[in-house]
Order: sequence, then C-alpha cells, then structure tokens
Amino acid sequence: MPQPPRLNAVALISPQNHPILIRTFQKGDELKYHYVAHTSLDVIEERTSGKTKPTECYLGLLYVMDDVAAYGYITPLKVKIVIALALTDSVVRDADVVMIFKALHMAFYEAVSNPFLKLDGVSESTADYSPYQAVGSVKWKRLRQAVDEIHRALCAYAP
Amino acid sequence: MANQRVVVTYAAAQSFQSSDNWIHFLAALRSLLPLRNLHWKPTSRPNLRTVQELDVSLVPLDSLRDEHTSQVPVTLLEKPLLNLYVLSCEDAETYKTTVKKQIKDWQTSVNQRKNQEWLIIHVVRPDSKNVDRKFFSMKGSVLDKIKGDFNIDKRDRCVQLPWSTGEQSPAVWADLIGKIKDGLLAAFDTAVLAREEEVKRSEGQRHMPGWNFCTYFVLKVGCLCCILANLASSFEGVNLFEDALQQYNELEATFMNVLGEKNMSWFGNLINPAPKDDSLPLLSPSKKSYRELILANTISIFDLRVYLLARQSMLLNKMQQPIEICRKAILFLSTFGKRLREVEMALPEYFVESWIFSSALSVVDQCGAWASSWLELEGIALARYNAIKGELLELAKSQLDILGVKVGHLPPKPPFLMALQTVSTTPSSPLPERNPSQRISKYEIMLAIGDIEAFYDLYCTISNRAIDAYVKAGRRKFALKLHGCLAALDNHRGRLSNALAIFSSLPAHYAPHMWTSLESFMLSRAIDTHAVLQKPRDQEWIHLLLGFLKTYVNEPTSESLTSHDINEYVTKLVTALREASEKLDSDLPHLDHPIMALEITKDTRCSQDEDLVYLTVLIHNRLPCDVHVDKIGVVLVGEDTTRLKFTAEFTKLVSGRNYLVLTCPTSSHGTYVHESVEIRIARLHFQWNRKSGGGAGDALTSRKHAIPVHLPRNPESLDVQLCLPPNTALGTTPKLHLTISSGRNDLATASVRLSAPAGITFAFVNSELHSEGEIDTSEDGISIFNVPSNSNVIISVPHSDATRFRAIKIDVSITYKTVRDPALERTLRTSRIVTVALPIAVNVEDFFRGERQVIPGLDSSVKLRTMFVTRLFSRFTISTTTQQHVRISSARLLSAPDAEQGAKILGCHPSHSVMTAVPDRPVSYIFCIESDRGPVSDPLKLVISYRLLREEVEALVNKAVEDALRQLSQESDVGTKLVQAIIEYLECDASWVELYNTTGELIIPSSLDVGEELEEAFSSVQKILSQPNPPSPSLGPWREMTIPVDVPKMNIVADAWIAIQPPPQAEELPRSQLPSIYAGQALSATVYITASLHWNDPENKRQRYRMRYDVEERTKDWLICGRKRGDFLVQDKSTFSVCLTLIALHHGHIELPKVEVKPLPLDGEEDVPRVLPSSDTHQSHGAETVLVLPRGGRSTFIVSMGTKRV
Repeated sequence: MPQPPRLNAVALISPQNHPILIRTFQKGDELKYHYVAHTSLDVIEERTSGKTKPTECYLGLLYVMDDVAAYGYITPLKVKIVIALALTDSVVRDADVVMIFKALHMAFYEAVSNPFLKLDGVSESTADYSPYQAVGSVKWKRLRQAVDEIHRALCAYAP
Repeated sequence: MANQRVVVTYAAAQSFQSSDNWIHFLAALRSLLPLRNLHWKPTSRPNLRTVQELDVSLVPLDSLRDEHTSQVPVTLLEKPLLNLYVLSCEDAETYKTTVKKQIKDWQTSVNQRKNQEWLIIHVVRPDSKNVDRKFFSMKGSVLDKIKGDFNIDKRDRCVQLPWSTGEQSPAVWADLIGKIKDGLLAAFDTAVLAREEEVKRSEGQRHMPGWNFCTYFVLKVGCLCCILANLASSFEGVNLFEDALQQYNELEATFMNVLGEKNMSWFGNLINPAPKDDSLPLLSPSKKSYRELILANTISIFDLRVYLLARQSMLLNKMQQPIEICRKAILFLSTFGKRLREVEMALPEYFVESWIFSSALSVVDQCGAWASSWLELEGIALARYNAIKGELLELAKSQLDILGVKVGHLPPKPPFLMALQTVSTTPSSPLPERNPSQRISKYEIMLAIGDIEAFYDLYCTISNRAIDAYVKAGRRKFALKLHGCLAALDNHRGRLSNALAIFSSLPAHYAPHMWTSLESFMLSRAIDTHAVLQKPRDQEWIHLLLGFLKTYVNEPTSESLTSHDINEYVTKLVTALREASEKLDSDLPHLDHPIMALEITKDTRCSQDEDLVYLTVLIHNRLPCDVHVDKIGVVLVGEDTTRLKFTAEFTKLVSGRNYLVLTCPTSSHGTYVHESVEIRIARLHFQWNRKSGGGAGDALTSRKHAIPVHLPRNPESLDVQLCLPPNTALGTTPKLHLTISSGRNDLATASVRLSAPAGITFAFVNSELHSEGEIDTSEDGISIFNVPSNSNVIISVPHSDATRFRAIKIDVSITYKTVRDPALERTLRTSRIVTVALPIAVNVEDFFRGERQVIPGLDSSVKLRTMFVTRLFSRFTISTTTQQHVRISSARLLSAPDAEQGAKILGCHPSHSVMTAVPDRPVSYIFCIESDRGPVSDPLKLVISYRLLREEVEALVNKAVEDALRQLSQESDVGTKLVQAIIEYLECDASWVELYNTTGELIIPSSLDVGEELEEAFSSVQKILSQPNPPSPSLGPWREMTIPVDVPKMNIVADAWIAIQPPPQAEELPRSQLPSIYAGQALSATVYITASLHWNDPENKRQRYRMRYDVEERTKDWLICGRKRGDFLVQDKSTFSVCLTLIALHHGHIELPKVEVKPLPLDGEEDVPRVLPSSDTHQSHGAETVLVLPRGGRSTFIVSMGTKRV
C-alpha cells in the first residue's frame, strides 16, 4: 500500500487570480509556497487556455520544483486550487490527489455558501457573483479550519 | 543498437550460388530493400500497426553463428526472423533427385530455430511461365511438387519468381515481397508473443513469497527488466516507437511498483558512484555499457534508471516530443535527486547538486541539439517547450541555491533556503562511508565552489537563461520569482542599488492580483535594502513604505513572509514616515490608502454661540501604533455640489477606533453626504474620495453607499432670502431682492456671490442697497460691511432676462467674518428657488368709438347717426397663470407723467374694493382713453396691485398669531412654530378656500396637533381666524406690477352704417310711427361709411386712402340690389354713401347685413412693396335689427273632411 502524499501547502485562488487562502503546513517555508501558488497560475493558464480545453476539474501535476510537486484543480466556476505535495520517488496516484482536491473543493463550497460572506463585499452590482474579491483573510476562518482539518486527516492517514 | 535491422538469411544450392544468375538475383533482391508499409496485426494488441520502413539485412545462412549456447536474452531482432531458400530448378527430375533433399536438409536446420519463418523461392525463367504446362504435362510442375512436399500447414511458404537476369519489371517481385513481409510479421508476432509470455511469467514470480526472496527477486526483476528492455528495443528496431515507448513505460511502472512495495535495499546498490557520474550527459544511453551491466546484474538503480530515461528520451526524440523528454527528465531528477539525498553521506561531496545541475543543463543542451532535426516548433508547443526548458534551468539554479548555502556563498535565509530540502527519512540501511577520493567532476560546480565570484556569475547566467526561457514561454510569474531571487543575490553581494531597483519594481507585478503576501515581502525587502543603503528617504521611499503599509493592513493576519517582528517593524516605519514626510519639499498627495478608515456618524450639532457646526467621525486606525496627524479634513457635499469642509488639527490617532469632533465654520444646513477625506501627516496628504470607487473604496468607509448627514439649522445664524421685489415693472431690467439676515452675528465683512442656471447673469455692479449698511459691488459679487446683529440687509440685484423660466434656482455663497472672530472665515452655501414667472397675465382689447357729431351739408335724415371716432376703450383682462387665486386691489391706467399731449383717461369703478382672479374666472378692467389731438405716442402704464391668496392668508395668520401671543404675553418665537403648523394644514387642504373667499372666515380644526405648550395660543388664534374678515386692501402688503401699454395707432378708423329709408310718405313721421316693413317689400337703404384719420399720425392726416366696401351677402335674410361692392376715396372726416335696395326674405327680427370695409394698398413707387394701411371698421348698426312683418293678406286652407259613401 503506497503512502498517501504529504500535503505541504494549499492555495485557493479566485477566478480573478486573487489569492483567497494560502495555507502552509511547513513552518518557515511560507515564501516558498506563496511562490508555488503564484507560479502555478501560469501553468494552470497554460493548461486551460490551450486549444483542447480540459474536460476535468483536475489538472494533474502542474510542475515539480525542488522537493515540491504542485498539483492543480479548477472548479467549474474557475476557482483554482493548488496543492503542494512533498515530492517522493514513489508513484503518486492521481486518485489520491483528486480525493484531496475534492475535499478542498467541498470545503470551499461550504465556506462560500455562507450568506454573510458577502455582507462587506465591495461590489453592489449583482452581475459580479464572486464574493471572493475582498480577499480578507479574516473572513475565511471557516475555510481555514476546514483546510486544516483536511491536512490533519491526511497526516493521520499517513503516520 | 540504433541501426538494428531485421535479419533474413538465405540459402541456395551450391550450384546455383556459383552461377552469375545468383549474383544478379541477390543484387535485385537487395535493391528492393528496405521493405515498406508493413501492416502488422498483432495478436496481443487491438490495433493494426503500420511500419513505414523496415531495414532488412540479408545474410547467408551459414554466416550465422550458432547461438544456442548463449543464455543471454537478446533482442528479438538479433536472431533472423526469416530464412529463405532459393532454387532454380525447372526439371522435375532434377528436383526429385537432388534439390528435394537439399531443401529438406535446409528445412530441418531452420525448423529447429524458435520463432523463425522460412520461405522457398523458386526462380524460373519468365518465358517458361507463359506456357501452361499443366495442360500438357502429366505431372505437376516443380513448384507444385515443392508445395506438396514442404507446405505443412495452411500457410503457403513457397513462391515462384519468374525472373531472369535483365528482368526489370518490379511487378514480378510483388508476390515474393508480399510473402517475405508476411513471413517477417508472422515470425515477429510469434516472437513478441513468446516474450510477453515470458514477461508475464516473470511478473508472476515477483509475487512469490519465499525464503529466497532477496536474491531470487533481484535476479528475476533484473531479468524482467532485461526482457522488457529487449522487447522495447525490438520494437524500436522495427520503428514501432510508440510500442517501444510503451514497453519502457511498462518497465518503469514495474520498477516503480517494486519500489513502492519493497524496500530498496533488495535491489542491490542504489548507486555506485563512479567518477564523472555527476557530469555525464544524462540522456546518452551509451555513456556506459548499460546492457552489460544489466546482464551482469550489477547495475545500480541509479544507472538503471538513468538508462531507462535515456532510452525513453531517444524514442521521444524520434517521435519529436521534446516537451515530454524534459518533463520526464525533471521529474526524474527531482524525485531521484531526493532519493539520492538520503544517501548523500555516502556520495562525494556535492554530488547530488552537481549531478542534478549538470544533468538538467545537459538535457537542455541535448534537446537543443536534437531540435535541429525536428520540425520547427510553433505557437503553443514552442511556448510549452520554452516553459519546460525554463523549469529545467530553474532546477539547475535551485541546485546552486543549495550549494551556495552549503558552501557559504549564500546566506541561509529565504529565498535561497527555498530549495533546501528537508530530508526527513533516515536511510534504512547503514550507509557506506564516503570515499574521500571521489570527487565531483562538473567543472563549473567545482569552480563555483572554490570561487565566489564564479559562483555568482554562474548563478546569474543560469537564472537569466531560465528567465529568458520563461519569458519566451509567457510564464511571467515564474520569471518574477527568479527576478526576486536575483535581487536577493544582488542584495547579498552588496549591489544594493541594483537590488533596490528590482525590489521596488517587483511589487507592482504582484499588486494587481492582490498577492499581498508576496508584494509585502518585496516591499519590505526594498525598504530594508534602502535602509542598508542609507539613501535619503525621499518620495520614492515614502511610496515604498506606503505600499508596504497597505499590504500590512490589508492582510494583517496572514503569515508574514518577513522575518521581523511585524508590529515593531511597522511602528518604526511609521515613525520614520513622519520624519521623512516632514523633510519633503512639496506636498505629497496619496490616494485611497487603507491604513485609515473613516466613518461619518450622524452626530452633528450646531454651536450655541457662533456659526459653527460640529461633526463627529470615527476614524479607524489600522496600524498597530499611534499616529500623529496634523490635520484631518472631511468634505461633505450637499445638493447642488455645495461643499463643506470639516477639519480638526493636531491629533493623535491611537491604534484602533478614534472618535473625533470636526468643526466647520458655516451656517449652512441641510442634508449632505461625505465626499472626500484628507489626513495630513506633515507634508504627506492621505486622500480618500468616495466616488473614486474601485477596490480601495472600502478603505474610506466600511460601506460603499453614502451615508447622509443632516446638518441642523440654527435660527440665529446668518441667513439669506431671495425673492422678487414687491414692485415689478415689465419692460425694465428684472431684479431680485436679496435679504441677508445677520442673526446673532456682527458682520465685519461679507461677500455674496450668486449663481443662476445658464443664461442668467447678475449685474452686481448695478445692485442697489435698500437698507442701512455699506456695500461694495464688483463684477462677480457684492461685499457688505459692518452689519450689526439681528438686522437685515436688502439689496436688489438686477439680472438678465429669465422669462423662459418659471422658477430659477440660485446658488448663494456667502463668506463672512464676524467682528468677534475676524480671523475665521465662515461660509454659507445654500440655494434658493425664486419663482420668476408672474402669477397674473394681462390681455388688452382695444375698441375705437366715436362721439356723435352733426356734420353739416349732409342729408338731414342721417345726422343723428354720424360719428367721428376720437375715443378708445381698452379692456384689460387679468387672469391667473397658476392655480393660485390672486387678489387684485386695484388696477390703474396712468399716462406718462411727462406726456406732451395729455390724454384723458377715465377708469371704471369696480364693484368691490378687492377682486379675486381665479383660474377660470379672470377679472376685467375697462378704461376709456380720450385724446383730442390724435394718437397718443407715449405709452401708458397699467399699475396693478395684487397678491396671491396664499400671501394674504399667511399675513392674516401671522397677524392673528402675533395678536394672540400678545394677548397671552408669550414669547414671540414660539409663534413661528404655530404659524408653520397652521400654514402646513392650509397647504394640505383646500376646503377652506371657498368659505374664506366669500366670508373671510378661516376655520382651523382643533384637531390640528401643535404641541402642548401652544394649545392655548392655538385656540385663541383659532378664534381670531374664524371671525368674518372681508377682504380689504388695508391688510398686509400688496405687490405692484407696472405694465407699459401702448395706445394703438390706426390709419383709418371707419364707421359703417346701413340706414333704411322710410317710404317717402312717412318721412315726416316720428320714428316710432314708421310704417311697418313686410317681408318681400323692397326697401331703399343707404350705406354710409364715415372715415376718420384721428388716430393716424398727424403728418399723414392729409393723405387720401382708397378703400373698398363690401356688403355682406345673406341670402337667407336679404336680397340686395345695387352696388354691393365698390371702391372709394377717403380722407379725414369724410363720409361716403351709396344707395341699395333691400328685400327681406322672411319675417322676424332680422339683422342688417354687415358692411366690410377694407383699405386698398397705397399707390407707392413701382418697386416699393405696397403697404396696406391699417384700418378698423365699426359696424354702427351691429346690434340693430329690423322688424319685418309677414306679408298681409289671407290664406284659405280647405281640409277635406271626407265623404261617407253609402
């Protein structure tokens, strides 16, 4: 039984490429994972803007840099999720990664369903349906907790 | 191995081989190679594979070694796949005796070999084929015999070739080539199947548990690898690259499976470091003799995987997939590099870094070299290729990061630490000691380790190459990251200005997408660098700092990427900010910075002793420290963009919420919304505009929509009123009355500006003062001086024509200074709506009438009726223009006081002293103007004094309230409230109007709520108002309107009259006894037309005019005989007459026909347009009727009564 991958960081990014939440589970390496999240956007854009549009949300391995493998996921509403897994020499099964993404997607979905999120939203126009413009980190407490929970679950799964 | 070919053997009888024919045959056969378009339908795979081109090497059978001895698995293609036997025997007998045996021998030897096919080629002369021998010969041909002898199964392995030396046609070979292809494919297929069987068997064994796990497994897996590799290379040999790649991928997967399941230590050594291992080109499969190593089972995992990658890359190269090559290489270098790091201690120093570095670079170079043979990459593919190249280069760069930190060339802090890997797992087996004699061999790395400058150069070069590749690929964000690293390097190297430049340019790239974390990091680095540089803290520095503070307050809770204690750091920066901004040469405005948020509360109040308004605001200081600000200004904007600025000075804003009271010296009031905020710190001005919107909008207020602020009105403050002056004169410059009530202020100076909508201008210069005080007028305003408190200054201001407006809105702006506080300039900005349209409209109708005069020399019978017109009656109709009732106390028509020729004006006496014009019932006044000397050239003036009913009622109520309060001896200021309440009631309900108009009683219902303290006053007011109160001109003010009236001029005023002449015998009878007129009776009548030039200009009085009369045709009433129409000449006081005969057509009172008199054009010059003189005709008999009796006589009517016949 292969070990599930170790989750180093999670980044949720809005359709406008604004960071919604960047969560790092490795102390002292925040800059690195912020960079990973930011640079992943380039690769996601490459993947999604090509002639053949991806049919799945899961974008697969985005790139490998240093000891980190960045995987991408894009929700139907173009919210991007990037996770950074610790690189291992063993095969990382896509199914495992997709499972993590699905969990994150659900967490985000639940967080964004909060009707109070939009209370302080800047925009009054109803056309702009994305409440994540004002990416105040404070408002995403729930989401952060959910993300931490997912990380904890992964850790417990891989002793 | 690259030139692997399919081996095909041939054999032939010795005799045939020695002939010339044989050589030619071989040459011809070779010329047909390589084979093209082989279609392989593999039994184990679903798809049909097509091999475009297959190289075949033809070798004699006896040249092959006997390979049975070797145990080594070789690729399928090293053994022949097909054996040919060529014979040229046309004689059946010979065949039977010798050839058959030869073939038999050959077949036996060939059949022993596994997975090989054979084919017998029977070469015949082409001409012989044409003879159908079957028909003549009893026996079958040689070919039939061969077939019969050797074709064992269904497959036909014999072919006839009708060929001889010199035969050129390729058609003859088709059959043979087809057979060769079939044979090759069949053999290959069986071979592949066999191999796959073998692989399956090996894989099955992999799972077998057992004591011999270790060695057995290694062996088996090794074998498996070899087999798979062989299979793959076999595919490669037949140009089936995809299948080959598939094999390698399977091999890799198997390998990974093994790795995943078992510990690596089963597999022999992870790596046997050899010299130059780290610097050899990664993708070269021939840099070591891998096959031998594999066969000898001594290959290390390292070598095996490198070999695997190299072979895959070779295939991918042939398939022209550079991106895939690089992708695999990166993945391999990263993952395997990580594994190598676990055993780092056993490797030469810096081996891993050196290996990854040089391998990454070599992959890039190798791809570059291969690229020359590829099709040109284009568009997306090129971008992807560049991107992946960039990744490889960045991988190399990050090795330098690790190396640099290890060696000490780079400081152990981010971003250099990013690449440093945390190796957490301890190796499971004890590591062999590092062999000190082993060294890394990559020259650049060795140089870089030794020489710090070389290291930096290398670092920059690689980084720049990566950036270059990323830029070409369009990966901006990757490039930015590398720029950041370069800046950090510059910073470390002491190239501070370089670093500063990069650091300060980078945040701009992160800001648009709100990557505040990275932006903040860059900014803080820039600030730090700036500090180290000790550069002057100029505007640029302030911008950097403000940018940093912005990111700080926007994301205060996120993990900071900087190493400082953030709060302390920010506090220090804010202090420095103040110091720096004090040193600025000029004011530095900064828009929409989020460090402060301002909220306007609704708490506003007026000062009790001066014109001052207080506004409480809540300022949220988002910084962790206190901020000293010099000035806070809030601009409120009211309707009509009147702006008020509330300020407070020198305050300390503590971190968090601050309630501040701002003041504004103004007497304006009303509803305002805030527009902008300014906070000044020394010369740094933070500004927030509500309208500028955007993402920064939330910085100013937490909510986007404007909060209205109501500024209360203080009755004692300065006030201004605008109204129409009580006296309006039409035809002169219109004026407005401006009333400034000073209230409690002793005004030292005040300057007033008025502005009205487009098209209306004020002539301030011509303003007049109507009360005490001093004014000074200029082009754009009026200045007033020294006005004591509680007094009014009334100024009339002329303005341009505004008749096209009903009402105009005038913005008033007054700035004033009081005696008490002469330094403070106060403002009043408000707007007033003035109704400029008059409430009444006046229409005039003129009637020329004359006085009867006897003109001598005329027929005496008409002397009574001759008139000469000298009088003019003017009727003025005064109607309301609005729905308002208008009271009119008087209307007088006055001649100009200095008129040279006095005209006598007689008025009429109205029935009531005060008339009321209501919308559907205008009031008329008639005046008679009598002029002795012709027309009146000077205009007269109509003076109307009027007022609106509303004004009257207001005055009435005011008076009643005053009286009531006086009686009750109460304060007069409560009256305003009472008056307001009553007026409001009257405004809402119109039912009182009718009663008031008739009786003057105003009934106010007691249910009106005026408040407790006013109950008493109200009831007494109620009583006063309910008294009958007939409208009288004495009560209250009246407005006066003066209208200039021109007395009309008329060239000719004519008077037409038809006189019916009585029959001659009745001439002497009095009028009452005139004989009756009967219908059908002819009457003689005379038309008299008297003309007067009295109202003509005096100089034209002598003129003669031509006129035309026309008696109206009334065919139902009158039959007219005589000159109905004719021209005549008139002069002043001349009478023209013409006789007619009239016959009344029926009886009754019949009006006489009208006589129309028209002037004819004057005879002027030829080219002068003819002017029609003006004229007015009065029908003197207009109101008269003639009684016509029915004709006399009797009429008998016989009515048949009917007869009864019996």
